[in-house]
Amino acid sequence: MNHELTLPIGLPGQGMHLGVDPLSCLFLAILAPQILAVAVGEDRESVLFWVFVLGMVLAVVAADAFSLVFGFELMSAASWVLVLRGDRKPATLYAGIAMFSGACLVPALFLPAGGVAFGLILLGAGAKAGLAPLHAWLPRAHPAPPAGISALMSGGMVKVALYVIIRYGFVVMAPDVKPWWGIALIFAGGASVLIGSLRAVLETELKVVLACSTVEHVGLIATGLGIGLLAKGFGDNALAATALQGALLLAVAHGLFKPLLFLGAGAVKHATGTNSLDWLGGLIRGMPHLGGLMILGCAGMAALPLGPGFAPEFLLLHAVFGAAGTGGILGRIGFEALLAVLGLSAAMALVSGLRIVGIGFLGRPRTLRAAAAEEAGWPVLAGMALLAVLCVPVALLPGLLLAAMQPVFAELVPGAAPQPLAYAPFPLALLLAGFAAGAWWFVKIFGARGEREVPAWQGGFGKPPPWLPFGNPMTQATGTGFSEPIARAFGYTILGAKHLDPGEVYVLAPLARLHQVLTRAAERVRRATIRQRLAFVFGALVMFLLALGLAQGG
Amino acid sequence: MSLGTISISGPFLMDQAIPGVILELQRLIVSVLNAAILFAVAPLLMGVVGRTRARLLGRPGPVFWQPYRDLQKLLRKTPVLPDTATDYYHIWPYAAFAATATAALLVPGFALGMATEKISDLITFIGLLALARAATMLAGLETGFGFGGAGAGRDALFSLFTEAAMLLLVLTFVLVAHQPSIDGIAAEFRDGRIGVSVSLGFALAAILAVALTETGRIPADNPAGHLELGMVHEAMLLEYSGKYLAIFHYTAMLRLALWFTLVGTIFCPFGMGTAADFFSWPLGMILWFAKIFAAAVALPFFEVSTAKMRVFRVPEFLGVALLLGLLSGVFLFVAARLGG
Repeated sequence: MNHELTLPIGLPGQGMHLGVDPLSCLFLAILAPQILAVAVGEDRESVLFWVFVLGMVLAVVAADAFSLVFGFELMSAASWVLVLRGDRKPATLYAGIAMFSGACLVPALFLPAGGVAFGLILLGAGAKAGLAPLHAWLPRAHPAPPAGISALMSGGMVKVALYVIIRYGFVVMAPDVKPWWGIALIFAGGASVLIGSLRAVLETELKVVLACSTVEHVGLIATGLGIGLLAKGFGDNALAATALQGALLLAVAHGLFKPLLFLGAGAVKHATGTNSLDWLGGLIRGMPHLGGLMILGCAGMAALPLGPGFAPEFLLLHAVFGAAGTGGILGRIGFEALLAVLGLSAAMALVSGLRIVGIGFLGRPRTLRAAAAEEAGWPVLAGMALLAVLCVPVALLPGLLLAAMQPVFAELVPGAAPQPLAYAPFPLALLLAGFAAGAWWFVKIFGARGEREVPAWQGGFGKPPPWLPFGNPMTQATGTGFSEPIARAFGYTILGAKHLDPGEVYVLAPLARLHQVLTRAAERVRRATIRQRLAFVFGALVMFLLALGLAQGG
Repeated sequence: MSLGTISISGPFLMDQAIPGVILELQRLIVSVLNAAILFAVAPLLMGVVGRTRARLLGRPGPVFWQPYRDLQKLLRKTPVLPDTATDYYHIWPYAAFAATATAALLVPGFALGMATEKISDLITFIGLLALARAATMLAGLETGFGFGGAGAGRDALFSLFTEAAMLLLVLTFVLVAHQPSIDGIAAEFRDGRIGVSVSLGFALAAILAVALTETGRIPADNPAGHLELGMVHEAMLLEYSGKYLAIFHYTAMLRLALWFTLVGTIFCPFGMGTAADFFSWPLGMILWFAKIFAAAVALPFFEVSTAKMRVFRVPEFLGVALLLGLLSGVFLFVAARLGG
């Protein structure tokens, strides 16, 4: 650590050590804009919000294991209370997950470096980050609190959890790295990517869609980290650097566009009273500024080229190409399958981003409240605009950003010389703008002048009666209808007939059943009559004496 | 060239700088020429496809330059603006066109080594086509009418398969040619450093299936269909008219020409010129025309011999493409293991 600071509080005799190095600087830089944006947008008066922020910052600047755990748990506890304010049911689930991750992390950080410790860190921090198979809580808990807190949880808190994985996998336990660490990360990441992106296409609640997309992006980051860890273990530093570039650039980009989208979702809820895509529509008429900002954020979420999400995706795909080009045949085929998964989910991310814009903001209003939506207040717009402005350099000048992040890569993979980025968005953006302007000019010169506004054709429904100013809402595709083809072709295969998340079916549901069995057993003990209890005590005594006698006699 | 050389010997610098500048200029000229030819020929290609198809179906068919007339007719007409359209109604056609046109700049037609050589990564190309598709789908959702939403949803379904299959094909190309750029892959193939293999056969079949779907041809979609329920690409454009519809139609033509060129450049780059060598251009150009017009004639033969698939059978068709893409990579791995 370069700069250390010792606080006189904390463990007796040791205090708390705080320090920053390039990696923590990067994560502070990821946290800062979203904290600022949320503070501008809403929630700056709540004390708990600042406790939550303090926990995240403390976890990132911690220089010893105690401070790290303290910050992490502070963050968990504060966010639990914040979730509880929104909704009671997911808060309980969230508390369970937070305790599980604490129970894994606390021993892990004090164990000697090795496989057990990293496995526990992966479980603990992975559960907190929403990595499959422990991701099912995330789409329930992240949408529950007010939008600003959701924004910070999705944009910041999962990054802190990933930071713990990076810190221990690449820095603290670097000498003991085993190949399976990277492979476990890649498997968990790939599964999260597939499930997250598919659910993001199928869900109808705006905030749930965004939370599922967070699962996908966490999966992408974890995949990149896994490839980086694997390649570093095999001494392929160039590949490790490419994978890490992709993962960390995605962490930066996701930390900008996801809070933006969550803030926007909150404003939509405020204006219309609902977040369900099936009840929205045509919002861009009433909320033009918010709509424009949301289109920008969705372009990032959809990983469209010239948006902030494309450069990291590009790097990650190239990292997978590189990984598939080396190693044993099973590994190569595995990476090819991973590539197919990434391709599917890139397309699904595009569809889910489009769906938010196309169903929620374009088209005709589906309810009166959607038709009467008014522009969001200026604080929210200012917070979103701040994030949108910061998206521009990430989108158009990723090469410069990667050069600025070079110390981080040097810290994580010593001796890595990353290759220059073969994706140049700035010239592409100029070309694109040139073509659009050229087409506009050509059409202006050679095309017909003027336009005539007519009742929309609407597939033959024609002009609606005056008491239905936007026509019959039933005649346009809903969010569910739009994704129905994908649900039919993919949803039933991967999520089963009821579209249930495997994380819920195979992890949460068995846990719930176990809980029920244990509760029933406890209840039976509680209800036992005095005779039953005496019989039990007597039986136990006999067994004990029998065992004792047998042991002594033998 | 270091700074020292510049300050010491001016004439020496001139000797080296002028060929360098000329080379860059040649690369730029090739790029511009390539794009100009592609933009000019795209409607003609569509005309060839349409007329050949009509002939095969026993009709005389329109003249080859009918698409130019159609575009001119659409440009002349006053667009009617649906009253439920938002302010973004005008933006989508331009966005779709500009993204497709930018993608067209990345694909060399008659000579390798264009000015865009360094950024012509296949993933960028796929991304730009996805951007164009996104703009078209938003155009379908724009006015909120049923067919547009249905068409966009179906296009979304197809895009899942095409994107995944394309990525697997890119992996095959990268493994074979050790280059991710279209230019580099074509150069490796042209100079004969890569032999014919089973993998490439699979890759060709897969890319053809992807190309047919991406360009909205039979069996995935019927560009000449008139039943809104069965439409995919056209369904999204039903509320567009006049010059905006002209832009969308022109973008579709450009996309067809672009895919013809891409498949030709990757799988049949023999005889393509080099930007630095002016005299190799004419042969490259002749061969380019031969390739794309041959493709334009071959496409209707395929189209009249198959029927359009039901929407939910298309995933099966594309699943085969995905599988072939996967197999092409697996065969390469096996071959590498046996060979190494």
